[in-house]
Amino acid sequence: MSVSARNLRYARPGFELRVPTFDAADAAITAIVGPNGAGKTTLLKCLSGLWQTAEGTIHVAGTEIGRLTDAERARRLAFVPQEHAAAFNFSVLDFVLMGRTAYLPLFGAPSPADRAIAAEALAYVGFGRPSDRPVFDLSSGERRLVLIARALAQQAGILVLDEPTTFLDPRHETEVMELARRLAEEQGKTVVVTLHNLDLAVRHAGRIVFLKEGRVIADGPPSDILSEDLLRRVYDIPMQIIDHGGRRFIVK
Amino acid sequence: MTKAKRLLLFGLFLSPLVVFLFSLTLGPSHIPLSDLGKTLLSPLVKSWEGAVSPVQRDIIFGIRLPRLLLGLAVGAALSVSGASLQAVFKNPLVNEYILGISSGAAFGASLSIVVLGQVFPPQIGAFGFGLAAVGLVLLVSRGPRFSPVSVLLTGVIISAFFSALLSFVEFFASPYSLQALFYWLMGNLGSAGWDRLVVPLAVMAAGTALLLLMSWRLNVLSLSDEDGRALGLNVKRDQMIVVLTATLVTAAAVSVAGIIGWLGLIIPHLVRMIVGVDNRRVLPLSAVLGASLLVLADDAARSLAAFEIPVGIFTSLIGLPLFILLLTKSAKIWR
Repeated sequence: MSVSARNLRYARPGFELRVPTFDAADAAITAIVGPNGAGKTTLLKCLSGLWQTAEGTIHVAGTEIGRLTDAERARRLAFVPQEHAAAFNFSVLDFVLMGRTAYLPLFGAPSPADRAIAAEALAYVGFGRPSDRPVFDLSSGERRLVLIARALAQQAGILVLDEPTTFLDPRHETEVMELARRLAEEQGKTVVVTLHNLDLAVRHAGRIVFLKEGRVIADGPPSDILSEDLLRRVYDIPMQIIDHGGRRFIVK
Repeated sequence: MTKAKRLLLFGLFLSPLVVFLFSLTLGPSHIPLSDLGKTLLSPLVKSWEGAVSPVQRDIIFGIRLPRLLLGLAVGAALSVSGASLQAVFKNPLVNEYILGISSGAAFGASLSIVVLGQVFPPQIGAFGFGLAAVGLVLLVSRGPRFSPVSVLLTGVIISAFFSALLSFVEFFASPYSLQALFYWLMGNLGSAGWDRLVVPLAVMAAGTALLLLMSWRLNVLSLSDEDGRALGLNVKRDQMIVVLTATLVTAAAVSVAGIIGWLGLIIPHLVRMIVGVDNRRVLPLSAVLGASLLVLADDAARSLAAFEIPVGIFTSLIGLPLFILLLTKSAKIWR
């Protein structure tokens, strides 16, 4: 399963996003990076069918996104928001069970099989605490894992994560990215993420898309496109790329 | 779940039946439980027909039964509507009247009672204008900016508009019709016989059943709209189904019982404090608790004084202190 976009244009007053081509491959992480206001989240939400594009076509697992119903789309593509905005304090398990929505009819409720899928998803992301805990009691790192578990319960081939590492400490940051990597490499999922931490992008992504002011500045494998010149053009401050033990680090 | 809690839940589910039987014996003419059983079953058991006093049968089937069934239905309907709307609007402060249905219905009833005499009964005026008010809210708030917040805001404004219209009618009303209007506005369950109850009872039963069937989906609808769509819901369609059903159910309740306040806010909260926020539990428990408490409040309203006190006063007097007490002792259930 893959996601692709051609001649995508999204416009709102004072902002326009244009992406001539975007492709995210199977079994790999595609990272979208760039300064605040570059259009990263906008691109993500257009690709996920949550925001309406003005022009262009988006294909999700081979089908034009407009031809899919909400439920059909959610069975192919799972979107993980930055923060969950629940007004009510559900238990972790009830929250993850909502990932099964796309498989249940209007009057339906989750079956024991759905509960098993939800429990399995929680185990896979490494959520170690009892699943009857209320979600408001969780730390932001744990909340991020629960949101990813809910997306896994959707059993979609494509996972789209909006800044999954923002506000996390270095340990949780690493855990979330390694989880994303396992999902791509072990389960063959197409993973698309927006990131602020360039080191994480360089280390984990097979492909990086640099955005600035609604335009694609560069797009390709990090080894091909990453340069100090590119970083200065995207972020408007000088940055250094340092090689250390075969890994590249970016120093501001 | 602890054993004590299970017992409590079991008791809650049985409570409407207990309250129902107890309330049938209550009233100016005392009917002992032993006679009650025979009378209730007499239409089914031919040989008992002679053993039952016709007066008791008329009191039970003609007066107390319709009133009790109305109480159970209105209590369940208002509580379930309140819980459903709180989920759809992602806001625990929402009640079943938030979309202007009460002020619309009050204005409709005032038109009937004050201006038009009995050309059309207040029930029909209340039902029609209650629906009209919600229709107006949905009409004004539709379009690209449609969102729960814009609907709520429009609801507040339309409510204020119909309240102003109501004041206008009241200003020109005679003292006699004002009294009748106030009595109606405070809510009571004793005003209608079978002939006027059949349709509202059917609407309340069908609508409440539909909302109960959607109780798990209401969990997902209580997330943000974008979250709901990402999870695969047709959010606008589902919101519309819930809002229209809750409106119809509430309008049916208001048309025969007047405006009985606070049930839709208090009952779902009491239930959440006991069982948490999963609507698969909240909705059915709200139905049974709302039904029992409204009938108990009505028992108090009709037996505490020689005359009848509007039951709406009692739902507030009993419910609100109970609510405050539990609120200060409960765990965090909403943001």
